[in-house]
Amino acid sequence: MTQSYTDIANADAVLIMGSNCAEHHPIAFRWVLKAKEAGGVVIHVDPKFSRTSARSDFHVPLRSGTDIAFLGGMCKYILDKKLFFADYVLNYTNASFLVGEKYSFKDGLFSGFDASKKKYDQSQWAFEKDEKGMVKRDKTLANPRCVINVLKNHYERYTLDLVSQVTGVSKDNLLKVYDAFAATGKPDKAGTMLYALGWTQHTVGVQNIRLAGIIQLLLGNFGVAGGGINALRGEPNVQGSTDHALLYGYIPGYHNTSIATWKTLEDYQKANTPKTVDPLSVNWWQNRPKYIVSLLKGWFGDYATKDNDFGYNLLPKLDPGQDCSHLFIFDRMYQGKIKGGFLFGHNPCQSFPNTNKVRKAWDKLDWLVVGEVFHNESTDNFKRPGADPKKCKTEIFLLPSAYRAEKEGTISNSGRWHMWHYKAIDPIGQCRSMGDMVVQIMGRVRALYAKEGGALPDQVLKHELPATFNADEMCKKINGMFTRDTKIGDKEYKKGQLVPAFPLLQTDGSTTSLNWVYCGGYTEAEGNLAKRRDLAQTPMQAKIHLYPKFAWAWPVNRRILYNRAGVDLVGNPYNPDKAVIAWQDGKWVGDVPDGPAKPMAQGGPYPFIMQTEGHGQLYGPGRVDGPLPEHYEPAETPLTVNPFSAQMSNPCMKQVHASEYDVLCKNGDPRFPIVLTTYCMTEHWCSGSETRNGPALLEAEPQQYVEMSPQLAEEKGVKNGDVVVVESLRGRVEAVAMVTVRIKPFTVMGKTVHLVGMPFAFGWTKPKCGDAVNRLTTSVGDPNTTIPEYKACLVNLKKATKVTEL
Amino acid sequence: MSVSRRGFIKLLGAGTACLGLSQLGLDLKPAQAYAARLKTEGCKEIISICPFCSCCCNTLVSVRDGKIINIEGDPDYPISGGGLCAKGAALRSLHVSEKRLTKPLYRAPGSSKWVEKDWDWMLEKIARKVKDQRDRDFMLKNEAGLEVNRLESVFSLGTSQMSNEECAVTHQAIRSLGIVHIDHQARI
Amino acid sequence: MPKAILIDTTRCTACRGCQVGCKEWKNFPPVATKQRGTHQNPPDLGPYNVKLVRFSEHMEADGTVKWYFFPDACRHCLDAPCKSGASLPDSIIQDKETGAVIYTEKTAKEDFATIKSSCPYDIPRLDPKTKRIVKCDMCIDRVRANLLPMCVKSCAMGAMSFGERADMLKLAAQRLVAVQKDNPKAQLCDMESVSVIYLVADAPNMYHKFAVAEAANTPGMTRKEMLAGAFSPLRKIAQSLQG
Repeated sequence: MTQSYTDIANADAVLIMGSNCAEHHPIAFRWVLKAKEAGGVVIHVDPKFSRTSARSDFHVPLRSGTDIAFLGGMCKYILDKKLFFADYVLNYTNASFLVGEKYSFKDGLFSGFDASKKKYDQSQWAFEKDEKGMVKRDKTLANPRCVINVLKNHYERYTLDLVSQVTGVSKDNLLKVYDAFAATGKPDKAGTMLYALGWTQHTVGVQNIRLAGIIQLLLGNFGVAGGGINALRGEPNVQGSTDHALLYGYIPGYHNTSIATWKTLEDYQKANTPKTVDPLSVNWWQNRPKYIVSLLKGWFGDYATKDNDFGYNLLPKLDPGQDCSHLFIFDRMYQGKIKGGFLFGHNPCQSFPNTNKVRKAWDKLDWLVVGEVFHNESTDNFKRPGADPKKCKTEIFLLPSAYRAEKEGTISNSGRWHMWHYKAIDPIGQCRSMGDMVVQIMGRVRALYAKEGGALPDQVLKHELPATFNADEMCKKINGMFTRDTKIGDKEYKKGQLVPAFPLLQTDGSTTSLNWVYCGGYTEAEGNLAKRRDLAQTPMQAKIHLYPKFAWAWPVNRRILYNRAGVDLVGNPYNPDKAVIAWQDGKWVGDVPDGPAKPMAQGGPYPFIMQTEGHGQLYGPGRVDGPLPEHYEPAETPLTVNPFSAQMSNPCMKQVHASEYDVLCKNGDPRFPIVLTTYCMTEHWCSGSETRNGPALLEAEPQQYVEMSPQLAEEKGVKNGDVVVVESLRGRVEAVAMVTVRIKPFTVMGKTVHLVGMPFAFGWTKPKCGDAVNRLTTSVGDPNTTIPEYKACLVNLKKATKVTEL
Repeated sequence: MSVSRRGFIKLLGAGTACLGLSQLGLDLKPAQAYAARLKTEGCKEIISICPFCSCCCNTLVSVRDGKIINIEGDPDYPISGGGLCAKGAALRSLHVSEKRLTKPLYRAPGSSKWVEKDWDWMLEKIARKVKDQRDRDFMLKNEAGLEVNRLESVFSLGTSQMSNEECAVTHQAIRSLGIVHIDHQARI
Repeated sequence: MPKAILIDTTRCTACRGCQVGCKEWKNFPPVATKQRGTHQNPPDLGPYNVKLVRFSEHMEADGTVKWYFFPDACRHCLDAPCKSGASLPDSIIQDKETGAVIYTEKTAKEDFATIKSSCPYDIPRLDPKTKRIVKCDMCIDRVRANLLPMCVKSCAMGAMSFGERADMLKLAAQRLVAVQKDNPKAQLCDMESVSVIYLVADAPNMYHKFAVAEAANTPGMTRKEMLAGAFSPLRKIAQSLQG
């Protein structure tokens, strides 16, 4: 989130799209209601009418997988009607940048596409630079290669008629949303966008969000109260676990995992430290080398010296382009290339797409270590219905995990609030925290390496890992400390002292920090700021529901990111009634500003400090599948033609092929004419492996269902409450039919397209409640993130003649 | 004025023990005799956080004699104001559930059963598995002959259920084994 | 001073925090349910479900969908017909401090059919194990300890407010005015005679058959008639108990 949950209340328009906020982030909706009661308009765009829709001003049903068409239409509408915030767009976005001459877009493909590799040569999309290396700009916006004109040209095709035909949204409804949201393009108005997995879980997931960002930039909605793009992050600490990079492609703090061609630390730093010649661009990532060295120093301690590249060569390196995400993990597991592993608090045999494949791949493991609170479909996969345990050779070590109230530590909410939770009781039985498990396993492994040697023992042994897990100590290490007495400016810091904030991290090994974004959250003066419970506010902060002393937010307790874009060039807030920051008497007041420098009119820097050129990216050459979002159909689509171009699906989409289940319907496959979208629900948590053990929760949502329109039910001869079989090319699932007016058939390109929706919380370990809906979904992913396309695939359904799962 | 949520609970005072009317030795009329004892009488309240969505609603865990008696929302958490959704409201049941895993369990190849083992036995076996696998499959160099120092045959999945501190130590541990197949809920 | 709960259904998102929170606080045992083609589950109030969020969906002529949520529970009538209908003085009592109508263990000796039929909101349920008649008790234990009733406490949406009756009436009136702007049919259900006041945005029967004490719900008798006459001898006893 660029904002915090409480900030939603400040919005004049709340566009909830790709999210079912009231059901999946129920408490967040409290702030949506506050916005509504203060006169804001709440819009829900989503395939089905849900509890969110029920409390919104209006709901607009959209065919799953057509968000870019919908938003592209909005973008065109804003540009055509000149509803954008002109000063903001000119001064704070790259609207005036000149796109290089090599850029082109033709019939669904950008320039530089290599069809054999399904990859673009992204260098063809670069901005034009002058001889000094400055990006060329035309502030009159007259040049046809100005970003704003390229943008306009790109979305010229996204007419109301075409968008309506593709999305299945009526023109009236399109206009209703476009008008309501575009009204926030005024300086003193703000609109926020709330999204979740409904945007990310598509083969165009990243571009969905890019386009949302483009619209928010056009409307001047970043940096202001009630604005921004707000990812309602799914899991309890998925913000923190992403910050700490439990992901193959990153190391903690949003730095790339090293690759083989970056042979030395210098190579790494060079490749990952962006440069700009524009003195007004803060280009924050130019500081990356400090964070990398501090991280290495935190990991390798005294071993890490300048002479040995601070231990850089002990890091595992990927091959360039190597994808080690879920989709590929299970593909390689299926092929027998992956032999064993660790599974902590995760249930892929239920929650990962194409589950029939996943479950078979899981059978092939030699060994598996699991830390869990309850048995689930992954711990007990060997005895799933239809499986023969004798044939599964996996040796499984199932470790009982402490539950939340049985351990202490910090977690980070979607708004980046870093909060401490205390231990209420000791873990029950023989349960241990996952931190204990990891440390204890590593203690034994390290002892074996110390005694026996083996493959590159230094990689194992040179890391400074604690012998026992202590959350408070780890919290300090994450923040970072001085490794020796150090003088910075006129201030002296002692060895072992906590680093006060990340601007003080160094490249010379004098500081450690296991994650620079959290540096400053634990101070010598105030202790662990994650424990703060102070609700005090200045009147200015109270107006926008900002709680600067409750817990601590990264970075540097800034609650609203890019807040320098919320003021004009002289530092006056665009909306004085809901000011986030303001330049008063030579200093900033309000939220923690994006750097203390003076306003732009006084020579201060551009506001988008994380961007190399300091400007919000209307045109963004950094994504692998294009600098501008383009509508492509989902990998499985009921259409036979993409009316926007000859390119049916995302040309760069990630796919795997190892198993018989890795199959896709042909376009408009008559055997599977119905669109399926999947979701979680209020009463169960994700795969349901925990919450199905909550009696009052299971009682409220006991069994697998499929929501469908009365029209489809009639077509199929299905009555409300009947058990039906839903089938895709990859599997079949039994479900109780929930026939509801909340789902409506879509008219797409003149034809009726039905959509059904199913939750994924029900699995076989709870008898008679149903089993994994993900047996139906596809093994395809977004090319930037490899997030799978859970939200759209093709199915058919019929009344069940025999029921075994329910 | 109506008593606000925060005000209402503040009268009680977080962290303090509560006395029931019955303990005050009052002569109770039928109405008062009914449910005169508060379930959380004598409990200590501890601040925790709901382990479900990223709203991260703060909770108050009432504990007596080392047992969780009640879990409800913390009214001081600005985002929730003390509320909880259905899942959060079920936290006590989930914590005290008889379905919880409470002992290390081992499943041998081909077996249909779980067998209870002690922690030492488990940790010993796990460490040996990990080391043997790593030693067997570790890649010092890739096909192009460049140094990679990685282990491809072992994965790590999960979890966003970990605290930041657990995530940090886990990331470090995984990298210290050379593991590259790393993923968790952020991607799904 | 009597208390009241205002339930503003226009703010309810049916997150069911109240339904589950109630059950948790009361340590009620689980109930086996089935998916029957609706999110409303259990299907009805029961001895182990004294708070239930009811779901009802409607499509208007122009295709607009309305989905209404009604967190149903005892209304704690100011002059409770169930109490008047009770044969024993201590089985159904009304707490003077709060106005909470409370079913004691002595309800096991009452005739369930009589008590159930006396309620215009169809609230009382029989616990088959203890034979006690069961319903919401306004979390009288919590209220006495200065805690909010669990359902109110769980609600983060501001759909439930608890406080002095006079304050709740004021709040109800304010909310009604606000909601009526967009919903001309909005009303406060039986405000003058109950302690649990529902604000609905549409005709009450669009939410739940027993949302208000309509004459149609109690055959042969209007609520007023019932309150006024049917159990008058017993009511006198009851009133003396109230002091």
